[in-house]
Amino acid sequence: MLPASLDEAVDALAAAPAAVPVAGATDLMEAVNAGRLRPAALVGLGRITELRGWRYEDGGTAVLGAGLTHARMDRPDFAALIPALADAARTAGPPQVRNVGTLGGNIVTAAPAGDTLPVLAALEATVTLARAGASREVPVSHLLTGLDPVRPGELLTWVRVPLLHAPQVFLKATGRSGPARATASVALVLDPARRAVRCAVGAVAPVPLRPLEAEAWVAGCIDWDGSREIDPAAGAAFGEYVAAACVPDNYGAEGAWEAVTEGPTAAAVRLRRTVSVLARRALGRALK
Amino acid sequence: MTSPTDIGAALQQDGGEGGAVPEPFGLGSSPLRSDALPKALGIYPYAADLWAEGLLWGAVLRSPHPHARIRGIDTSAALALPGVHAVVTAADLPPGPDGLPDGAPAGPIIADRPVLAAGVVRHHGEPIAAVAADHPDTARLAVGLIAVDYEPLEAVTDPEQAFTAPALHPDGNLFRHLPLRTGDPDAVGEIVVEGLYQVGRQDPAPLGAEAGLAVPRPDGGVELHLSSTDPHGDRDRTAACLGLEPDRVRLVVTGVPGATTDREDLSFQVTLALLALRTGRPVKMTLTREESFHTHTSRHPALLRYRHHADAEGTLVKVEAQILLDGGAYADVSAEALAAATAFSVGPYVCPNVFVDAWAVRTNNPPAGRMRGEGALQACFAYESQMDQLAARVGVDPVEIRRRNAMSTGDPLPTGQAVTCPAPVKALLDAVAAEPLPALPVDDPDAEWLLPGGPGGAGDPSAVRRGIGYAVGMVHMLGAEGEDEVSTATVRVSGDHATVICAAVDAGQGFATLARQIVQTVLGVSEVYIAPADSDQSIAGPSARGRHTWVSGGAVERAALMVRHQLLQPIAANFGMSVELLQIADGKITSYDGVLGMPVAEALEGKELWATAQCRPHPTEPLDESGQGDAFVSISFCAMRAVVDVDIELGAVRVVEMAVAQDVGRALNPRQIEDRIEAGVAQGVGLALMEDLQTTGGLLGNPSLTGYRLPTSLDTPEVRIAALLEERDVVATFGAKAVSAVPAVVAPSAVAAAVRAATGLPVGRLPIRAEDAVTG
Repeated sequence: MLPASLDEAVDALAAAPAAVPVAGATDLMEAVNAGRLRPAALVGLGRITELRGWRYEDGGTAVLGAGLTHARMDRPDFAALIPALADAARTAGPPQVRNVGTLGGNIVTAAPAGDTLPVLAALEATVTLARAGASREVPVSHLLTGLDPVRPGELLTWVRVPLLHAPQVFLKATGRSGPARATASVALVLDPARRAVRCAVGAVAPVPLRPLEAEAWVAGCIDWDGSREIDPAAGAAFGEYVAAACVPDNYGAEGAWEAVTEGPTAAAVRLRRTVSVLARRALGRALK
Repeated sequence: MTSPTDIGAALQQDGGEGGAVPEPFGLGSSPLRSDALPKALGIYPYAADLWAEGLLWGAVLRSPHPHARIRGIDTSAALALPGVHAVVTAADLPPGPDGLPDGAPAGPIIADRPVLAAGVVRHHGEPIAAVAADHPDTARLAVGLIAVDYEPLEAVTDPEQAFTAPALHPDGNLFRHLPLRTGDPDAVGEIVVEGLYQVGRQDPAPLGAEAGLAVPRPDGGVELHLSSTDPHGDRDRTAACLGLEPDRVRLVVTGVPGATTDREDLSFQVTLALLALRTGRPVKMTLTREESFHTHTSRHPALLRYRHHADAEGTLVKVEAQILLDGGAYADVSAEALAAATAFSVGPYVCPNVFVDAWAVRTNNPPAGRMRGEGALQACFAYESQMDQLAARVGVDPVEIRRRNAMSTGDPLPTGQAVTCPAPVKALLDAVAAEPLPALPVDDPDAEWLLPGGPGGAGDPSAVRRGIGYAVGMVHMLGAEGEDEVSTATVRVSGDHATVICAAVDAGQGFATLARQIVQTVLGVSEVYIAPADSDQSIAGPSARGRHTWVSGGAVERAALMVRHQLLQPIAANFGMSVELLQIADGKITSYDGVLGMPVAEALEGKELWATAQCRPHPTEPLDESGQGDAFVSISFCAMRAVVDVDIELGAVRVVEMAVAQDVGRALNPRQIEDRIEAGVAQGVGLALMEDLQTTGGLLGNPSLTGYRLPTSLDTPEVRIAALLEERDVVATFGAKAVSAVPAVVAPSAVAAAVRAATGLPVGRLPIRAEDAVTG
């Protein structure tokens, strides 16, 4: 099925709820080719041009189409709007993948190392799930954690992101210089209107994690009215705080749900060091 | 849009622009590889693109356990699936000596690896059964319906446990123990440095995954279309496994992607042939990426313990070492890799007293095999790390400590063999040391500076430290320890063009281009065709260990010289002079006195001349019980200087530049040599920083190109060729040395040395993980 408009697509899904919507197919076809997935039908979203762009709403929100490609998000006009999302899109993979891989696809695939996810979590973005005759708004984090999953016949159409007009940073640690899966990533956005710092750590858990206490603490250390400078020691402490909040002591240990008796595992120490450096650098860049 | 052929034509026109640029011709020039353009444009036909009318699709069932007894296999459900034509297991292969199925074991040295597991599986992913069906999905579905009753057994995955563990195979757990003893065991030096070194599992990860087509023949034989790099060896082993005469199996080499190892695994091609014979129809099989990681052999993981004794000036007194190679479940070429690791355990240095014990053992890990400088690479990492430690202890520059101990022509290896080929180790070191260093970002603030971690990464300039490291290494060429090396080639000239028929497979090393250059030089014919390789031609041997430049190149040269004699003889007789007084140059036959000047084309008109010749280098001998013997035909050397940037907080490493000086004997095709050096550096950097096929309890952890990180273009450094030293190796064909393996051997050690210099950390493990490069 190759609908030409959003309505057609939603109708198609209503008619065949088992059908799988497909946009860039960078994850989907890999699973199909490997025999892990055998969809009953596909609904191609490639011809729905309205989903490939974005619009503004109420002056303070950007409504991004789910069909926005990573390559498009990396362009300067978009980067000026939501810099952290542009940074995440830029490092998300090789050009061949970024040219077709979409924002919506990244969300519904919900891979632990999905690069746009920590950014969306830090931005507290919401998504629109459309179905025939109705639609609903769900916070990205609720969708990712499975608190409020996509229901049969629903299509992820729009992603609502607040425009904060302030520095945002996305940093990721990988094992090589070329595009690679993150071993840990940190998205950090400043929200001067609310005098808040919001931060999310990706790739260390199945979903992006928000160190809420660390956020609140560091927001109190920033001189919001002045130069927004921060004591380097506070930046380092923030890094440690974020790392301790997001990486449990028993990270990587067998039987990870059992109580830990002997302090953090070696894997936890290593990952915390990485996360803490990333968070400190992200904060430093945001406040520079 | 421009079509591929338009681009091709445009490129060709560019080459001939102005009409003044002649096509590169003969030895010493740099013609482009004939398959370079099709491969770059994506129009090159690979083995996965093969097609035959009415073909069936093959699929393989692989073991999910690293070690298990097979109590039973029930294939009835799979056979009952509509569209399935055949299901084969070990019981369908010729039985073993005791009349029971043994899976038709085979192997390059020792036949111990079953085509399909019989009774026991010894590694994760070992093939157990195969299916032929009319659709690839049906085949895969049928594989899922084969019920195997496993009794999981304890997996031996630590090579150190292999000595005491119960035998994993009737042949035992020890592939080879090689002791090497030379000199005075009681010698001691003023300075002693010790180290324990580890090398991980690197995978060749060929981008073209294994694929092939088998077509049954009316005479009961089978024709295999595969990207084999050893057509005759693979044919003979396939025939033996199927219980056929070798001439009933024909192997046609097709669509070889760049290969850095043996291309096909035997199980794959025997299974394919068996399915075709069983069904009487062509069968095609294409492995998935994951299967590809399971099926081909990887580099030997190694554990090396070293102790170097030196005097106060840093001159080596004694080297003691213990080397342990994890050969995985089956023998493959472990014995040969071990010989290289032992013989080159000291490196290109002179040391009078050497005591080494080396073992290659069997475990339930994936089998290890041939991969550019197998054995030599692992030893290089250890001895070069030791030399860095020694330099620090003596308090001299790392280049100086190497110069003081460097070997030259005529010096002995610890095996007692004198290095009679050129060994310009000092000259190589001096060449890389003299190269200007790359600019620091502070010197060139306008240039976009790539931080460790890549563009848009997390790099922070204030945490980046630069390090410079040096390494020298060596690797032998051709088979060692008495292996019979021989190649045959036929050169035919008819009219204005020549044809070379030789079963040497061009697996990226450039043999086809070289053969063309040889014939151009000897016969003055510009149009030279290289016939595709297949096993009906005479034996040329495998594409490995840099053999073909020497052995097959030698055969082509001899055949071409014989044709040249046939061509010149009547002309010489006509003019009453001997053939030696005539020469061929610039497409013309001229006599010494200039009286005769005849275009080659004219002399060849209407003639059809051909000759077949063989080349067999001088024999070698096996290493004896104390590791002594003339085991190698020749050795090549290389020195490298690595410049790296390390983010010491995140442990991210970027190799900025590699300066390379290599001993090439004679540069037959300078561009191709540089290509091969760049390829070796890329592979070496991969091993040094990221390539690591992980196993947990024998199970492969990352059999995908997302999990197994290969270096991308951003990870591959600038390669600066400091020198291609051309000191002719008098016994080698054209005096040229093989060039592909030695850069891959040396590069990881150079990168490790540079990371050591940048961080001050010991770095005793390859690949260097992020946590190994974090200071504080």
